[in-house]
Amino acid sequence: MPTLSMILNGQEVTVEVEPGDLLANVLRDKLGLIGTKISCGEGECGSCTVLVDGLSVASCIYPALKAEGREVTTIEGMARDGELHPIQQAFVDATAPQCGYCIPGMIMSAKALLDENPRPTREEIKEGISGNLCRCTGYYQIIEAIELAAERMAGKGGAA
Amino acid sequence: MSTRVLGKSVPKKDAATKVRGSRKFPQDFDMDGQLHAKVVWSEYAHARVLKIDTAQAEALPGVVKVITAGDVPVNEYGIIIPDQPVLVGERDKVRGLGDRIVIVVAESEKVAEEARRLVQVEYEPLPVVSDPREAMKPDAPLVHDELGDSNVFRHIKIRKGDWEKGFAEADVVVESYYATPYVEHVYMQPDAGIGYIDDQDRVTVISSAQWPDHDLRQIAPMLDLPKEQIREIVPAIGGAFGGREDMHVQHLLALCAYCVRRPVKMVFDRSEVMITTGKRHPWYVKYRTGATNDGKLTAVEIEIISESGGYASTSAPVIEAGTSFSAGPYVVPNAKVDAYAVYTNNAVTMAMRGFGTTQSAFIYEMQMSKLAEALDMDPVELRMKNLFRDGSIGLTGHAMPQGVGIRETLRESAVAAGWKEKQGHWIRPDLGPASAPHKQRGIAVACGLKNVGYSFGSDDRATVGVELALDYSGEIERVTVLSGACDVGMGVQTVLAQMAAEALGVEYKQVRVSMVDTAKVPDSGSCSASRMVWISGNALLGACQEALGKRDEILMAETGETLVRAEHQFRGLSVRETTPYDLETGMSVPHFSYGYASQIALVEVDTETGETEILKFWAAQDVGKAVHPEMVRGQSAGGVHMGVGYALTEEYIQQEGMAKTTHLSDYCIPTVMDMPREFFSITVEVPDPTGPFGAKGVGEMTTLPTAPAIISAIHDAVGVWIDEFPATAERVWWAMQKK
Repeated sequence: MPTLSMILNGQEVTVEVEPGDLLANVLRDKLGLIGTKISCGEGECGSCTVLVDGLSVASCIYPALKAEGREVTTIEGMARDGELHPIQQAFVDATAPQCGYCIPGMIMSAKALLDENPRPTREEIKEGISGNLCRCTGYYQIIEAIELAAERMAGKGGAA
Repeated sequence: MSTRVLGKSVPKKDAATKVRGSRKFPQDFDMDGQLHAKVVWSEYAHARVLKIDTAQAEALPGVVKVITAGDVPVNEYGIIIPDQPVLVGERDKVRGLGDRIVIVVAESEKVAEEARRLVQVEYEPLPVVSDPREAMKPDAPLVHDELGDSNVFRHIKIRKGDWEKGFAEADVVVESYYATPYVEHVYMQPDAGIGYIDDQDRVTVISSAQWPDHDLRQIAPMLDLPKEQIREIVPAIGGAFGGREDMHVQHLLALCAYCVRRPVKMVFDRSEVMITTGKRHPWYVKYRTGATNDGKLTAVEIEIISESGGYASTSAPVIEAGTSFSAGPYVVPNAKVDAYAVYTNNAVTMAMRGFGTTQSAFIYEMQMSKLAEALDMDPVELRMKNLFRDGSIGLTGHAMPQGVGIRETLRESAVAAGWKEKQGHWIRPDLGPASAPHKQRGIAVACGLKNVGYSFGSDDRATVGVELALDYSGEIERVTVLSGACDVGMGVQTVLAQMAAEALGVEYKQVRVSMVDTAKVPDSGSCSASRMVWISGNALLGACQEALGKRDEILMAETGETLVRAEHQFRGLSVRETTPYDLETGMSVPHFSYGYASQIALVEVDTETGETEILKFWAAQDVGKAVHPEMVRGQSAGGVHMGVGYALTEEYIQQEGMAKTTHLSDYCIPTVMDMPREFFSITVEVPDPTGPFGAKGVGEMTTLPTAPAIISAIHDAVGVWIDEFPATAERVWWAMQKK
């Protein structure tokens, strides 16, 4: 069985995979990282979004072996020493999660967006999460959470 | 009473674990030694099963058991009547694509998947009943030959006043034919779970659910076991919207665990969810409305045909609820209504946000929009002339109970959208120029109302417990709320914690809400009918009061006890005696309590493509008391999201019973780009004297007015009525060509 080596949430990880395995399944089933969710199974809904070398990808259609040697960040890699990442904290403070199934993917898309564009406009935020479906929230509180996170990460508005 | 917690948007109890990704949904559980199960689904919408050959599947290494109809102790189930086979056996009929033939259980998911492809089923195709209007004809093939000679299984009649006289008095009569689409819930978390035998020999299921205790009531007779020997644990639920009121995996996992006595995991993929789980009922409706020149409604005549698919599910109560609101929140003195629930071989239809009142809101509000045009009267003004007040007489002859907030929601939303009231007349706002020469703007309003709790004499009840941990001086240190209320995402556990903190005078953070496990928490009833805040809230307040009383007794007696537990059952019938429809006249006291909403859509329609963009949207909801204002706003936006999809994009397409839209790439729910550019949520608080702290329900009401508001706004923009929706670009464009 081939092996996959990658930098997963800052740690080097090697795992046996089958050639057809998809990254989402490897993360969930072989590495126990259940925060990455599978919903549509065809790269349509964004629930499985993770970052590969800083870019957001739909891990449910991303061949696991393509991640060889790359840096992969999942929702589990966001909090540091137990402290929520400012994006996660903003999602809590903005009452963004309802059922929460889409939320890890939303947060990863928000991370990719804010890494690239720390002070996005509302339209840019919408574009940034336009590949992430949510059935509960109508998206407004998610947009507001990302605005709040951007504001806090830029050092304005404090970290409360 | 203090208001330290109530009305504050505190952090949701489950928010931190949800943003960390650590909160477990059913597919996130694994157990040592677990097996994997896959279902072999029916390939036909209507057929007789001639032969099931499992030999090849059984021979595959790694296959542990191939479960067939003969393995099910009592091969039937159903949420209200047990009319569904768990597995369809040889010589039996399949009645739709959601029927199951076989479950294969194997050592790995891969082997289970391979094994299910090796199961060979021979069918004798039968004529497919694919349109409920055809299904009502006397010579139509029968979906349930065993149930009599008709596919119609519920007929509701309402005969109120003298409708012929009412139409004779009308100056204007509006007559329409509507068709509402099949739509899918699209909860983001596909159905999944694990079944196992626990350490007390209970058949146990970990799964999403809306009413776990009722699942037990269906699983126990299926396995011919006492209810106490079945257990359901409900972890995080990835949305529900009514779609998880019926069982999708629970009974199958219980059956697997019962058969193999090892943990068995089952995870549906999206197509399995799309094809095999229930949908919103399509309605086919003839509607006549009469009114005088000064805008007073005189009569309605309505015929509703509601498609049920192959099984009854909750179709009878859905049409009962929907029909009771078919004339809307308006005083209509004379009415003739006939509503029919009809079997077909299309997808089974079941509860979905609104429970029949979403379809009724579409039909009555489209009628009001058309009437306003026919009378050349402002649509807000026409509605204001007819809207309910406290004590108004409704469609089934009942008086509306205190707390009617529909006028407040309409007034607030209309004023926010720029309407002006002058000497009793309402004047619409100027919409400003469209963004391009080939685009046109329109604005429209719609109202809606819905019951809170179960209706028509149902003995709806909830039991909630509280445990107080006391310190040595008798002060409350910690509180645990014990409730079977499933948090499908809307935040009921947060609301219960807030109410407990308020009632007990403690901090929100001192209150914990236990996980739903039927072995540990009381039955709080279903997370449906917008009932949890109202009914479980009332039960919780009762339990808190009893617990405080017990604590006082302990302190008086100086027993040194540090744990107080109380449990309280609240019955809806204790505040209002509801009654079933009278068989001939339909008269009844239908519901305990109500919630209200009004919404306004400002749209821009592209006259070259027919595409609709929603520029602004105002959503006002009367919730009695907003326990958590931000969660109310979330319910408002989420209800509007579902309504935007209903109005513009979502349609589950079937041809002769075969599913055509089986993925999220061909069944399109709104993305963030499809939502109104600007959204204004307005929360109104007209207290319900029967609600906890005056609270009503909110979850469903927020989706009712959305589709008729948007589709009426399309008419305001380009002059076409889209009576058969969704109002896709193609439909609008074609309607404009025919104009």
